Amino acid sequence: MDPLTSLYYRQEIPTSRRAWLRAAGLGFGSLSLSALLASETLGRILDEQQTNPLAARPPHFVPKAKRVIFLFMHGGPSSIDTFDPKERLVRDHGRPLPITRPLAFDKSTPGPLMKSPWEFRPGGKSGIPVSDLFPYVRECADDLCVIRSMVGEGVDHGAALLQTFTGTSTFIRPSLGSWVLYGLGTENQNLPGFIAIKPSLAHGGAKNWSSGFLPGAFQGTPIGHAGRKVDEISKEPIEYLVNKRSADEQRYEIELLQNINRRHEALRRSDPQLEARIQAFELAFRMQTEAPEAFLVDKETKATKKLYGLDDPLTADFGWQCLLARRLAERGVRFIQCTHSYKWDQHSELYNLHTQNAREVDKPISGLLKDLKTRGLLKDTLVVWAGEFGRTPVSQGGDGRDHNPYGYSIWMAGGGVKGGFIYGATDEIGYHAAEDRMHIHDFHATLLYLLGLDHERLTFRNSGRDFRLTDVAGVVAKKIVV
Amino acid sequence: MKLSSARVTRDGISNLFLIKLGVCLAIAVVFLVNYFPVAARQQPQASEFFEKQVRPILAANCQTCHNAKTKVSGLDLSSAEGFARGGEGGPVFDRARPDESRLIRVIGYGEELKMPPSGRLRDEEIRILTDWIRMGAPWPVAEAIAAPRASGASPALSAGDKAFWSFQPMVDPQPPQVKDSQWIASPIDRFILARLEKQGLTPAPAADRLTLLRRATYDLTGLPPSEAEILAFLADQSPDAFSKVVERLLASRRYGEHWGRHWLDVARYADSTGNDEDHRYPHAWRYRDWVIDAFNRDLPYDRFVREQIAGDLLEAEGDDSASGVNRSGIIATGFLALGPKALAQQDKTKMLYDVYDEQVDVTTKAFLGLTVACARCHDHKFDPISTKDYYSLVSIFSSTRSFKDPNVFVSEPLNRPLVVKSEFEKYLAAKRAYDERIKRTRYAIEAIVETAKDPAAWEAGMRLSEIMLAARRVYLEGAVEAVEARKAGLSEDALKKWIAYLKPGKPREHLLAWHNAPSEKVPGVAREYQARFENSLSEWTQKVGKWRNKYQEALALGKSPLPEKPAFEAGNDRFFAEVYFGKEGPLAVAETDEAVFSLEAREELKKLRTERDALKKQAPVEPDMACAVEDGEIVNQKVFIRGDYHNPGEGVPKGFPRILTSTMRERDVQGGSGRRQLAQWITKPEHPLTARVMVNRIWGWHFGDGLVRTTDNFGRMGEQPTHPELLDYLARQFIRSGWSVKALHRMIMLSSAYQMSSLPSDSSLTKDPDNRLLSHFNRRRLSVEEMRDGLLAIDGSLDLQMGGTLQSGTGTDGENDNKRLSLNPERLNRRTVYLPLRRANLPALLNLFDFGDATTVNGKRQLTNVATQALFWLNSEFLAERSQNLARSLLAGKTTDDAQIVRRAYLRILNRRPSPDEVASARKYLAGYRAKFVRGKKRLDAWASLSRVLMATNDFNYVD
Repeated sequence: MDPLTSLYYRQEIPTSRRAWLRAAGLGFGSLSLSALLASETLGRILDEQQTNPLAARPPHFVPKAKRVIFLFMHGGPSSIDTFDPKERLVRDHGRPLPITRPLAFDKSTPGPLMKSPWEFRPGGKSGIPVSDLFPYVRECADDLCVIRSMVGEGVDHGAALLQTFTGTSTFIRPSLGSWVLYGLGTENQNLPGFIAIKPSLAHGGAKNWSSGFLPGAFQGTPIGHAGRKVDEISKEPIEYLVNKRSADEQRYEIELLQNINRRHEALRRSDPQLEARIQAFELAFRMQTEAPEAFLVDKETKATKKLYGLDDPLTADFGWQCLLARRLAERGVRFIQCTHSYKWDQHSELYNLHTQNAREVDKPISGLLKDLKTRGLLKDTLVVWAGEFGRTPVSQGGDGRDHNPYGYSIWMAGGGVKGGFIYGATDEIGYHAAEDRMHIHDFHATLLYLLGLDHERLTFRNSGRDFRLTDVAGVVAKKIVV
Repeated sequence: MKLSSARVTRDGISNLFLIKLGVCLAIAVVFLVNYFPVAARQQPQASEFFEKQVRPILAANCQTCHNAKTKVSGLDLSSAEGFARGGEGGPVFDRARPDESRLIRVIGYGEELKMPPSGRLRDEEIRILTDWIRMGAPWPVAEAIAAPRASGASPALSAGDKAFWSFQPMVDPQPPQVKDSQWIASPIDRFILARLEKQGLTPAPAADRLTLLRRATYDLTGLPPSEAEILAFLADQSPDAFSKVVERLLASRRYGEHWGRHWLDVARYADSTGNDEDHRYPHAWRYRDWVIDAFNRDLPYDRFVREQIAGDLLEAEGDDSASGVNRSGIIATGFLALGPKALAQQDKTKMLYDVYDEQVDVTTKAFLGLTVACARCHDHKFDPISTKDYYSLVSIFSSTRSFKDPNVFVSEPLNRPLVVKSEFEKYLAAKRAYDERIKRTRYAIEAIVETAKDPAAWEAGMRLSEIMLAARRVYLEGAVEAVEARKAGLSEDALKKWIAYLKPGKPREHLLAWHNAPSEKVPGVAREYQARFENSLSEWTQKVGKWRNKYQEALALGKSPLPEKPAFEAGNDRFFAEVYFGKEGPLAVAETDEAVFSLEAREELKKLRTERDALKKQAPVEPDMACAVEDGEIVNQKVFIRGDYHNPGEGVPKGFPRILTSTMRERDVQGGSGRRQLAQWITKPEHPLTARVMVNRIWGWHFGDGLVRTTDNFGRMGEQPTHPELLDYLARQFIRSGWSVKALHRMIMLSSAYQMSSLPSDSSLTKDPDNRLLSHFNRRRLSVEEMRDGLLAIDGSLDLQMGGTLQSGTGTDGENDNKRLSLNPERLNRRTVYLPLRRANLPALLNLFDFGDATTVNGKRQLTNVATQALFWLNSEFLAERSQNLARSLLAGKTTDDAQIVRRAYLRILNRRPSPDEVASARKYLAGYRAKFVRGKKRLDAWASLSRVLMATNDFNYVD
């Protein structure tokens, strides 16, 4: 017999781990999708852990939140013009900066102190002050946990974005969403577990949603990018998702493919990696059938679309992102990023452009918060609103503000954080964090904590040491946890 | 397990959950199929607990006073011995009653003596220390001193450090005796078989010939064997048939492309800076081509290493020795130059030291398998590498230039000319002259435009309030445009522009006063706008006038460089800036607005434009450049305490890690940056790491795993070699062969070990499930390059052109510009290794199939199998195109016999012959397809469908 075909003439019974599992009734090759999603059986954990790195895994302890929606305001919105009013700036408007300026992005002589051009008003029962930039978000004030004492290390966008999303301002490391996916897996195998909607290409680009040294399975799946239009993206939101042939034809092909693969595997006495690839095809087929539905934002009611501002060209883009985020959250996607890309960098024309930017996102964000709440999703969905840093209390170039990573505001809502709550404070002029300082490492530690993960135990060994999202730092801010 | 349970309980978790978690962990332990998430969730070992939890607390809170040197109260808490000894107050740890240990009492702040004096530790920290004491205070043997020493004094190297396997000199082992000498085809086999025999295992039988051919062809070239190659090999029944195949493959230029790519993973190769702005490295490709060429011509590995560290400082070889420029040597230093960089980092000192750190990291990991960069802030926690060792190496790179000028706002990486100095200077002079001439024509054109614009601006300035009121009447009160234009003395067109500008729209702070003024105040407000406008206009006119005088003077005197035109600070008067300068402002005049200019001006403009266009055609051409480093100013490097350059400690000489020099007597480096000495030191034949690390890499790329499985880490946290003698044997042979990589390939590939089947035996599955002893060959998935290039080769569309760059442009692009993306591999036909890699946005296809991130040394890719990859096989245009092409080519043959065509398809895609039942099933499939689907009416589509299926199989995607 021709030696090259000998393998295929061989008839033998595989005596493998998998065969053993099958014999023990633990295989999942024959399990239906619903059983796959619902079952918490030994067999599922066993088999999936071997073949599917994205299978859901139990957290370290009982979580407050099951998923995250991260609303990223790329460019650096000004805290002292949004969530952190500073009376001293009103009083000392036009006076020189009373402290030594820390490292700035623009090293030319700083301008004088500049008061906020916006009024602050209390929102909700809690009375959290929100500026007139965000009248809609102000309506949700009682759900917001405003953190006024954020601290990062990057003075330029690249470093600051990298740190916000990966913990380090210098190196390339796995991103926040990848760590979460690595820690928890995902609930719905028909959708990627970590989705970045219209992410920015700049300032680290894909490194801000990539898996770094974690296995590639944990990388974020981008939905288009910030430079593309929603209509264009909707046609094929995930690369290769759309079957351009008939479903029957494809199923016909897959049948032959899987037959060949099964035989190939059996002849090789089974092999977990071969099995994993066979399973990946089953999952892909289901993903392709079921995932597109998740992206049919158009199917929402008119009222819902209006709530998110989809009826207004000004808010339609970010509204679509927020509404899509809700649809994905609803379907069990673990980590979702929305990006208002590179709009908030007002070195000049602070008033004009911050006004424009806020108008684009204010209504969509409040729509998201209200909608999540109505649907009972807010309680276990953590919503985060953040830029990569804030802006300086001194003016730059007459009518702008420079970057300020030394004390800035973000907010969280839902998912186990106290609503109507203010945590931390900056100094009198809003330049440095002064109370309950929350470094980005602390923020990450807290976020993982809310998801039921201990940031010190979520480690991955790479080139000889165990890495963490929080490096060797990070303290959970338990004060903000319900 | 206990430790974890205790901690879980502390977190207040229900028993039910605990049980569940316990079950999962138990499963994880039982079925540890070296699968990462499970493995990483294992219990931290006591030593890890100590290193990660306890030591940092001691270091931060206790060791400042209680260290080996100061020993306040006679207590040293920086070492196991010191801790065990206790202090003047007696022992700090009571093994019998741990809870009553003195340490626990003083940190509890319940007694008179309260430690640390600066304030009570956080509850969490107290809990950790208490847990640790209760565990019996384990202090790992891997002793290292965590606290950095300002003095720069190095810790004594312990006997344990010195005895660590990878720091030992290589031995010269004799291949061992074995029982089954029949199996021995190469000395390698003796080492493998001896271990197998010891464990009672037998090696797998030899692989089928075609399996072996496929294995070897992908292995050496990253491509499948062609039909002709398969048939030739089957026809060749001579005993050295396979040896001939190996020679043929080694001689193929495809070899360098594939093995060069392996090295490029180690060299974290990419074509842009990655971090922040992702600027292109326009010349990095020359390094890539150099690597490919080095493999193809079997450049001795020691030379290969030396050139990458200090090629520019070495004597030129070959063509370069005659030309006067060591092109090859300069290009090779791209290894150091093309790492990730944060060019917009404003703390420029930090930026530079991050680059030096990256260079230390890549150099020590790539060549030595050591993670020296771990010692930037503190002594290495696991390996005997001190911060002093680290800064001794940094000193070499801080005396090396990687930037043209780091101190500009966005720093510019260095590019080095590949021509002699005089020629490059000639180019620079020509470029300066050219830039001046371009500037002169630009200013001349601008002057004409301004001459046309200024009268309108002055007039507008004088009648601004009138114009504003007219515009307002139109957009707010519905007045007739033509009437208002006449009243304001403007053309209707001009008024239209003013209306568009002045009416409310996007938020504009400088128009708020105008828009918000109550109607009775509007005229007054308009006058204020006018006054400010006139003021700014006259200030600007004066400023630009002054410049123009100076400029004319310089021009007349032939001075160079010509003074730069001043810029208007827009933030000071945004209204004026927009109205006067704005490209869409009401006064905008473009160079192309023919009607605005006088006949004379038009003529002049035409002349200048022609001049400019002609000039641009003569732009001096930049000579060949390389992304490279060069020696810079010699820096007297200091240790930075905790890695902070604001906190310099003692100076360090340039040098190499002490653990590796104690036997080699080379420490201080005099003269130049020290790169040359570093290169020489690394490639000394007696270096215990260099040859071992490289032969291990090569072994790993052949077999799927190295003899040391952590190919980039030969330190304590790495794995121990499975076959230490074999490793040394290979390393010795490697050096003896003149560091020939190709000789090593031959030795490995002609061994029986390499030619084994990938089918494990029953006993191997039970006794050695990880196949550490190599009782069979390791099956592996194709890399993304092999997959893509393979598919292109199979359908005949692979473009084999070598070298050069497909990247265009320099610098970076707009923030969300598509140009920030790497080129799409699915639309190109060149081999994957030649596709430019924008580091921040690597090609999506490469990301999807586990290419890695191109930012750090990656000696072994981690492959995953996920659904989003399978979607590629189901739906990509790329695969549709491949299968169509292949079907076309299959049907173009003479035969019309389906069975024969199926055999050809198998041969081309899977490189084997189908069994009769496979042929039958394929034919059944084709028939079914034709019957079921409209598209099946076309013969081509049915065959394309079958081809697509075969391409998507595990059979294609895995190499046995």
